[in-house]
Amino acid sequence: MPEMNDATFEFLLARAGLDLTDEQKAELMTVYSGIAEMAERVRVPRGRMAEPAHIYNFTEEDLA
Amino acid sequence: MSGAIPTIAEAARLIAAKRLSPVELTRACLERVHALDNRLHAFVHLTEERALAEARAAETAIMARGPSGPLHGIPIGLKDIVDTKGIPTTCGSKLLQDNIPEADAACAEKLAAAGTVLMGKLTTHEFADGGPSFDVPAPPARNPWNTEHFTAGSSSGTGAGVAAGLILGGIGTDTGGSIRGPAALCGIAGIKPTYGLVSRAGVAPAAFSLDHIGPMAWTAEDCALMLQALAGHDPRDPASASRPIPKYTAQLGSGVKGLKIGVIHHFHETDHKVSDGTQRGITAAIGTFRDLGAETREVQLSPLQDWLACGSLISITERAAAYEEWARTRLGDFSERLRSRLMLGAFVTGVDYVQAVRRRRELRAELQAAMRGLDVVLTATQPAEAAKIDAVPKWDLFGPPNFTMPFNVAGYPAISVCAGFGEGGLPVAIQLVGKPFQESMLFRAADAFEKATPHRDRRPALVGG
Repeated sequence: MPEMNDATFEFLLARAGLDLTDEQKAELMTVYSGIAEMAERVRVPRGRMAEPAHIYNFTEEDLA
Repeated sequence: MSGAIPTIAEAARLIAAKRLSPVELTRACLERVHALDNRLHAFVHLTEERALAEARAAETAIMARGPSGPLHGIPIGLKDIVDTKGIPTTCGSKLLQDNIPEADAACAEKLAAAGTVLMGKLTTHEFADGGPSFDVPAPPARNPWNTEHFTAGSSSGTGAGVAAGLILGGIGTDTGGSIRGPAALCGIAGIKPTYGLVSRAGVAPAAFSLDHIGPMAWTAEDCALMLQALAGHDPRDPASASRPIPKYTAQLGSGVKGLKIGVIHHFHETDHKVSDGTQRGITAAIGTFRDLGAETREVQLSPLQDWLACGSLISITERAAAYEEWARTRLGDFSERLRSRLMLGAFVTGVDYVQAVRRRRELRAELQAAMRGLDVVLTATQPAEAAKIDAVPKWDLFGPPNFTMPFNVAGYPAISVCAGFGEGGLPVAIQLVGKPFQESMLFRAADAFEKATPHRDRRPALVGG
């Protein structure tokens, strides 16, 4: 699980456009590991061909 | 009849026989609202005059021509993230305190067309996520079985309102369990239909690809009656399914003899071990189904934690995208709980999101394979009876996984029904899951269970149950 350093944390917040207090930042840092763990969990061996769930197909309505 | 409060089916029969007036029924609900809602906070906006006018109109029409259907003259409520023309729709948020929509959401339109009486707008967690919050304009709903306890959310007002008989049915929405959770903790029935069966048009998004709209009522039969009015294709919702709509009550009364029920024991016995009271409810329910002639077998899926990770990453990201503009400009106007959820969006990369959506396809395929040869599967809805309202952790997202998210990830229909009462006297529940668009089968099994058990005979003590 990658570590979150202060610079990366500040970059991600700025990228998201979030203006947080120091207290909010400190609290958010405490739950980063929870997100990182979830992100690891959804990575299972699947190869490059595995499709996401939201790939779509055209329906009759598209062709009308 | 359950005490003085009829179910929708009972009221419909009495109305059709002209033995119950919609005005009388609506007044009885209003009396309970005035007597109890200062403690329950189920309503954020009561539309009393409109309700009485609609009830009078229903009565006149029914006296002249008979009821147009089983919902004609039935008092209902709508979660306050459902747009209602000319009626405030605040989403439980400071950000929308002055919002009065110019059009009804599709589900509001359909229930109105079915002749229901709109009692008002019901309490929700802010934008259907993150509660209970005490720093939003309206207080959180309280559990009618014990008002010191939580209702679960986010369709908290609908759960409380139905359980206390303030309404006979209502609309909830469900992104990770927001219909089934409050249904379970408030001791009622609530179904998250198949994704795409009920239009999302005009309902505030929580997470687009996980959001479902559905009915909550005292019984599964009542949910079937409501779903009949709600289901159907709507071109305003890009996810709306175009399929024939069956008669959802057609299989009621057929029993469960010969049905094959899969039990996902590891969800509630290993992945997140439920309380003794809930386990007793589940074990008794399995016994009831067997006694009624159903066959049960073990079902094995990926651990709950995998389903939760997948659903949570999708949910966090889609919510952060939907509310990004306000998060950037008015973050301080959100409640502390929702603000915290929105901030999490900064941590999820685009690749994380796509990996979650790829995982979603795999998990859905797994459920599809596991349900082959089965009619429904069964697990818990909630891990225990309702907690005290001030004891709900802010970061519950990172606690033990919930039992409901897997079926938002899969999009499969799932219903929660009351399975008894725990040590604290509050309800416990089971969750039944069906195959896509096979809600009729779920209603059949849930109705048979309710009719074989005494749990529908008891209302919260505060309403004289």
